[in-house]
Amino acid sequence: MPTMNRNEFLLQMDEILDLPAGTLRGDEKLEELTNWDSTSLITFIAMAESNNGANISPGQIVTCSTVADLLQLAQVERSA
Amino acid sequence: MASETNSLQSEIVKALRFPVAVGEILRKRQALKRELLKQTNLVPTRIAILGGSTTTEVKGMLELFLLAQGIQPIFYESGYNRYFEDVVFENPELWNFKPNIVFIHTTWHNLSGFPELLESEAEIEARVRREMARFESLWEKIHTELGAVIIQNNFDLPSIRPLGNLDASEAFGRVNFVLRLNAEFARYARAHAHFLISDILSLSAQVGQAAWFRQSYWYNFHMALSPTASVALGQSVAAIVKSIYGKSKKCLVLDLDNTLWGGVIGDDGLQNLVLGKDHPVGEAYLDFQRYVKNLRRRGVILAVCSKNDPENAKEGFSHPDGVLKLEDFSVFKANWNTKPENIREIAAELNIGLDSMVFVDDNPAERALVEEQLPEVAVPNVGSDVSSFAEVLEHERYFEVDKIVADDLNRSAFYSVNAERSAVQSKFASYGDFLASLAMTAEIAPFRAVYLERITQLINKTNQFNLTTRRYTGGEVEAIAQDPAFITLYGRLTDKFGDNGLVSVMIGQIVNDSLQLDLWLMSCRVLKREMEFAMFDALIEQCQERGIRKIVGMYIPSKKNSMVAGHYADLGFKSIGSSDGRELWSYDVPATYSPRTRYIRRTAEALQPAPIADGASVPSEV
Repeated sequence: MPTMNRNEFLLQMDEILDLPAGTLRGDEKLEELTNWDSTSLITFIAMAESNNGANISPGQIVTCSTVADLLQLAQVERSA
Repeated sequence: MASETNSLQSEIVKALRFPVAVGEILRKRQALKRELLKQTNLVPTRIAILGGSTTTEVKGMLELFLLAQGIQPIFYESGYNRYFEDVVFENPELWNFKPNIVFIHTTWHNLSGFPELLESEAEIEARVRREMARFESLWEKIHTELGAVIIQNNFDLPSIRPLGNLDASEAFGRVNFVLRLNAEFARYARAHAHFLISDILSLSAQVGQAAWFRQSYWYNFHMALSPTASVALGQSVAAIVKSIYGKSKKCLVLDLDNTLWGGVIGDDGLQNLVLGKDHPVGEAYLDFQRYVKNLRRRGVILAVCSKNDPENAKEGFSHPDGVLKLEDFSVFKANWNTKPENIREIAAELNIGLDSMVFVDDNPAERALVEEQLPEVAVPNVGSDVSSFAEVLEHERYFEVDKIVADDLNRSAFYSVNAERSAVQSKFASYGDFLASLAMTAEIAPFRAVYLERITQLINKTNQFNLTTRRYTGGEVEAIAQDPAFITLYGRLTDKFGDNGLVSVMIGQIVNDSLQLDLWLMSCRVLKREMEFAMFDALIEQCQERGIRKIVGMYIPSKKNSMVAGHYADLGFKSIGSSDGRELWSYDVPATYSPRTRYIRRTAEALQPAPIADGASVPSEV
């Protein structure tokens, strides 16, 4: 299973949220990201699974408040 | 034009081409959409998606693949699992939306139920009838009240098979039941031209069932398809819509050496070509030839474009194991000119647009040159391994058709006969003598039910001799044909060489004592035969019979219809101004009128198809 490092994952999150490459750093609050919607959420789940083998449910995402929390869920980084 | 070209060739849009980069499409959907929206001359369409599950993902993917085909959709989406109620209870939002196309996105999850264990054959049959009655009530209402083309998913296979392999063989098995229903859906499709199947049974098999349906997406989002499957469905449904709008490709241009056979005929000689069952690679070339031959049989025009000595190139088709023969090709270009030059000439000789052509060549340098110089031509990345050529062409869905009508089947024969007509033409002292020698007869009459499918096809395919380029769905054509507020005419032309098929269509709307001519088109195959005069003569007769005193013609310029820019002026119409990019022209219907047709005998009676040289009828493909 291919795994992505933090930078690669952040770049993909930029694409999902339609932001210029290099925008996200990790400490952004999800509620402040205008394109964070159900479609981007589903793409995030698909990406986390295909890239890092992480099996994520929407219930887990509800507990996330920042991009770094998502990265942790996606098993990109073990601690926030 | 430049922006369109750049847009479709941009690196990001290549994700939509084979091999489709699913992850990239999902991540970059917003950027992709922005890039695709830079195109000009997008064809608008209104699509209602009625879902038996969540449709957001499917809608997003369908939009991208439609934009890549030059079609800009506006969507209506039913609420979750409201596909049935929205129609049966006439949701005003849907009714006001007035869709051109209704896509019913149902899956096995939307079946009322599966047969019980050991249920009798009679009970299962009753179950099938009930399910069909439920869906048919939906389809009939959409057709009669919304007049839209219907695209209906058949059923994918359930992910759980409680009986294991027995599920496929026992009448009460789930797999067996689904396949039985799919056969009923297919039967309905065969009987109704406005009803098209989106074959998700095959699509799910291609994607792989484990990747097609994921329990987690179903339970969390009520998505009956995974994101990966949504991409595949979006591409597949877009191909159907493309075919409805006549945007499928018409011509396959093929290289020869290492494309249709292994080896270089000029160097290796006929006897050393790799082709035939005796060699593993030769068998792959043979299979590709068979695939191409089948495309030709169903109406795709074939052309050769090869850097070769012409005699050598032709010799390749005498190989005893080859299935493609010289006569399968409508144009044969084997010379030392560049391929873009030859492809331009092929398009001119066939009188089709470059955007109707697909070019297949094993040589990446040749592909790159054609892509760069002729951006309108589709150049699939077939690689250099012949065993994947057909697969790539299939995945790109270039030649998808929504129906096959008799006129399609002998399209290539038409080009041979047209070449014969051209040869005869050169023997006459004047063009008039040539036209007289053709002994032409035109059948021109109001739309007949038997021709509605062909009329719809022509309306949605014709770009050049088309005054307004207005597109109509089959339902709209059917409704107009029965509406006394319209005058409709179709024209079919035969000559001593054979039947050119149905080649011209007119639709006019009666407003008081005027006729507003909304549509006038003609296949370019019969240009310069005075068929447009025959149509105009018939129109004048119709107007006189119905007390219409004025005809208002409209010309809407497009990037392809400049050939008819002077059409109304040539017929004696007077310009009455222009607005919103539309030119309006007026013609006073005289009490006495001298027909303009000089060389065509006109009849309103149905003509018997005349045989042509090889016994096939000749199609009138644009």
